[in-house]
Amino acid sequence: MSTKAPVAPVPPRTIREERLARDGKKRRPSPHAGVNPLREGLRLERVPDPHVAVLFGATGDLSHRKVFPALAQLWRTNLLPTDWALVAIGRRPYDDGTFRMDIAESLHKNCRVQLDEDAERQFLDRVFYHRGDFDDDALYDTLTAKLEDMHLEHDTKSNLLFYLATQPSAFPVIVGQIGRCGLDHEVHAGGWRRVVIEKPFGRDLGSAIRLNREVLKVFRETQVYRIDHYLGKETVRNLLVFRFGNGIFEPLWNRRYVDHIQITVAESLGVEERGAFYEETGAARDVLQNHLLQLLSLVAMEPPATFAADALRDEKLKVLRAIAPPTRQEVARDVVRGQYDKGWVAGVQVKAYREEDEVDRESETETFVAARFEVDDWRWSGVPFYLRTGKRMAKRASEIAIQFRDVPHRLFADANTDPQPNLLAIRVQPDEGILLRFGSKVPGLGLDIRPVTMDFTYGTAFSTDAPDAYETLILDAMLGDQSLFTRADEVEAAWSIVTPVHDAWLDMPAPAFPNYAAGSWGPEDADELIQRDGRNWRRM
Amino acid sequence: MEGGSRAMGAGAVRSTPMNAPATVGQPMLRWQSRAKSIDGIAAELGRIWSAISLTAEGPEGDERRVAARSSVMNLVVIAGRGEVGERVASIVDGLSGRHPSRTLIVTPADPDGPAWLDAQVQAHCVVPSDNAPETCSELVYLTCGGESGQHLSGIVAPLLIHDLPVTVWWPGEPHFGGRSARELLPMADRIVVDGSGWSGDGLPGLVDMAELPGRFDVEIADFAMLRQARWREAIASTFDRPALLPYLGHLDRIEVRYAASDGAPGMANVVRPMYHVAWLASRLDMTVVEPVKAGTEAWSGYDGLLRHGRRRVPVSLRPVESTAPRGTTLIVELHATRAGSQLWVEVTAFADGVVVQASLDGQPMPERHFTAPRKRESDLLAETIETPGRDPIGAAVLDMAARLVA
Repeated sequence: MSTKAPVAPVPPRTIREERLARDGKKRRPSPHAGVNPLREGLRLERVPDPHVAVLFGATGDLSHRKVFPALAQLWRTNLLPTDWALVAIGRRPYDDGTFRMDIAESLHKNCRVQLDEDAERQFLDRVFYHRGDFDDDALYDTLTAKLEDMHLEHDTKSNLLFYLATQPSAFPVIVGQIGRCGLDHEVHAGGWRRVVIEKPFGRDLGSAIRLNREVLKVFRETQVYRIDHYLGKETVRNLLVFRFGNGIFEPLWNRRYVDHIQITVAESLGVEERGAFYEETGAARDVLQNHLLQLLSLVAMEPPATFAADALRDEKLKVLRAIAPPTRQEVARDVVRGQYDKGWVAGVQVKAYREEDEVDRESETETFVAARFEVDDWRWSGVPFYLRTGKRMAKRASEIAIQFRDVPHRLFADANTDPQPNLLAIRVQPDEGILLRFGSKVPGLGLDIRPVTMDFTYGTAFSTDAPDAYETLILDAMLGDQSLFTRADEVEAAWSIVTPVHDAWLDMPAPAFPNYAAGSWGPEDADELIQRDGRNWRRM
Repeated sequence: MEGGSRAMGAGAVRSTPMNAPATVGQPMLRWQSRAKSIDGIAAELGRIWSAISLTAEGPEGDERRVAARSSVMNLVVIAGRGEVGERVASIVDGLSGRHPSRTLIVTPADPDGPAWLDAQVQAHCVVPSDNAPETCSELVYLTCGGESGQHLSGIVAPLLIHDLPVTVWWPGEPHFGGRSARELLPMADRIVVDGSGWSGDGLPGLVDMAELPGRFDVEIADFAMLRQARWREAIASTFDRPALLPYLGHLDRIEVRYAASDGAPGMANVVRPMYHVAWLASRLDMTVVEPVKAGTEAWSGYDGLLRHGRRRVPVSLRPVESTAPRGTTLIVELHATRAGSQLWVEVTAFADGVVVQASLDGQPMPERHFTAPRKRESDLLAETIETPGRDPIGAAVLDMAARLVA
């Protein structure tokens, strides 16, 4: 997003500017209007201002697998400022040297493109370890002093990016301590302060509101970057280009032509070593509330007036608000939950969820959820959106499928086969790409119609050297571009849809779990959910 | 002309499919054949994709299906000499995974001899990732002897894949007023050149090139301009600071220093330094009062005068003795005065990038470093291909550069 965000149009201010505008001539942005005219047309990714990043939870899995590799890639591609440093905060007893060795090992394992020796050394030389407990005042007092020294030593102009890659329970504590030490205060001559917060942001509507309140006591909304890494994926970003950069699709993108939309986020993995976390979370909180509803809002939103962050988020928010929170009867009818039993995935026998480590043997946590929602607005009224996500499904596949309506009249009455409705499938992962299905006559004397596909795959049209979602998002946060981050009201709107589901489940009898075999596409009830409307889930 | 080409040869003379396993990311020659006529080349190109032997052995002995042709554009390269063609071929080969194209490398030869045509037809494939099918693109080396080398449109046009954009890459010194340009540019969407490689100071070439959009519907990409991207980022970043932005409207001097070896006027190509000035002047809506003129003394460089509102802005290009390649930008220096307050900005090249130093009323501001490793031709070509469509900023810079020279 960072490279493409245009400069917001500036209204004419002087008589000459008005005359030029009237004559249809493009007005140069004037330096007096607060717009840097040298910025326009620069094709390079912008390099963020010098700053210190402060990473809480630096010894955790997320930091090792995602955050450090993303930062290293940004360093490798010269997208981090040379005047940059990172303070890694964790509880484990490391010093700078041992922590850097630990990070180097993670980089070797998790980087999509390995750094050369020099680049890796330069990157690691900028990483400093700071030990402490998140709720200990002393940690923040010493951190404050350390940051002051670092600003002088690394010439980072008091710019600070806090990154909270910790357990969600630590978010309010850390933010509160940052506020106590005044580290959130932006300095007049530059010196921005931003905070990146990992999901899950709350576990229901009430807790999300409370957490937003705590965060916004310290930071302004413009300083807060709530990450949903799905929004940084190349295909998801391309969805906006696909919809609003092509003239032929948008006219079809409405209730008149679309029969229904399916969004699937399927994982073949189980809960791995995250049994305890997953027990408290479940599929609805882990994926439905964020990834699925974010994808839905991107698919369903109206074109924003500009590509500015708030314009984009305003439109997404309207979609979420157009989905009525489900009643208990609607949850019983339109939402299906499941939990995987043992089974076979990719030729390997795997355990049932209840047999996983740190999981209750009588767990009622859902590892699968499917739901039918309607977006009650002018564009989508009456078009169902079917969403599903699950663990230990037949394969890892994420996709948005727009199923178009059938042709209004069967013209080829003599044909042996009827034409199938057109389908547009946007594959998010793997094999990122876009597929369009349409009917074609089978060559021959008869009149057979067979569906054929036009298939665009990123991997063959472009090289697969696309940035990881975390690279995109971290760079955007450093540049101050909030387009791909969720706003407080968006988070709350999403919870207002998902919380009634949880509330209804609490009132229902204990589910008959497990109800789907690992390696399948979920419980039979999920099939019935969509078959009831005379439709089927897409085979993937 | 097409008929003439057909009459020149007897079609394919040899073909060699190659089935060795491919390595991910490593382009591999999968097909090579030869033809002596346009029809022969077209037939060979067709045969590549119908050949059953285009299944190759995978790394574990399994059979891997090679993908059908994958092309995102036609790339026509005018290679003045044979060695240029080979260098260009290796660059294009490296891009086959990222930007598969039908590439025609055209080398005119023996202009006074009889008309003849000799073509090597190749398919280069790359496996973009594990388990992905191979992506293949075509490369045709065309050597055109005698009169045929003077009528390039008749040779190139029948070999283009229609509906795909046509990029003409003209390494070396293009003759924009010549017959080749007149023949090829009407069918091109974009022409790619490297102004920093032109002879003398390179400035007359800028004037000729700036006239192209008026004659043809063609976009221009100059590697010399693309190489300055990080410089621009560095200069622009200085004025991202709200306190410094107003000074941009009050520039009163622009100086660019470039590498030279003996300081004699006209001996170093100054296209790149000129682009710096032209970029600033066009972005800031300046007008040319006096075009730049070369001084008569050694090491005097070039001087000109711009107008910014009511303010006159002297500009200079100054040679500095340096071991860097001649014409390389070493320093861009800006000076601004606003309400008695003075801003000085200096952007200096270092080994792997540029450093920005600035001072306001004599008070130094923190330095900023921008890493910018020197880009290879393959990087620049890839970048050109990746940013299709109109580049109004680049066009304005070229237009301003031409006005600064005229």
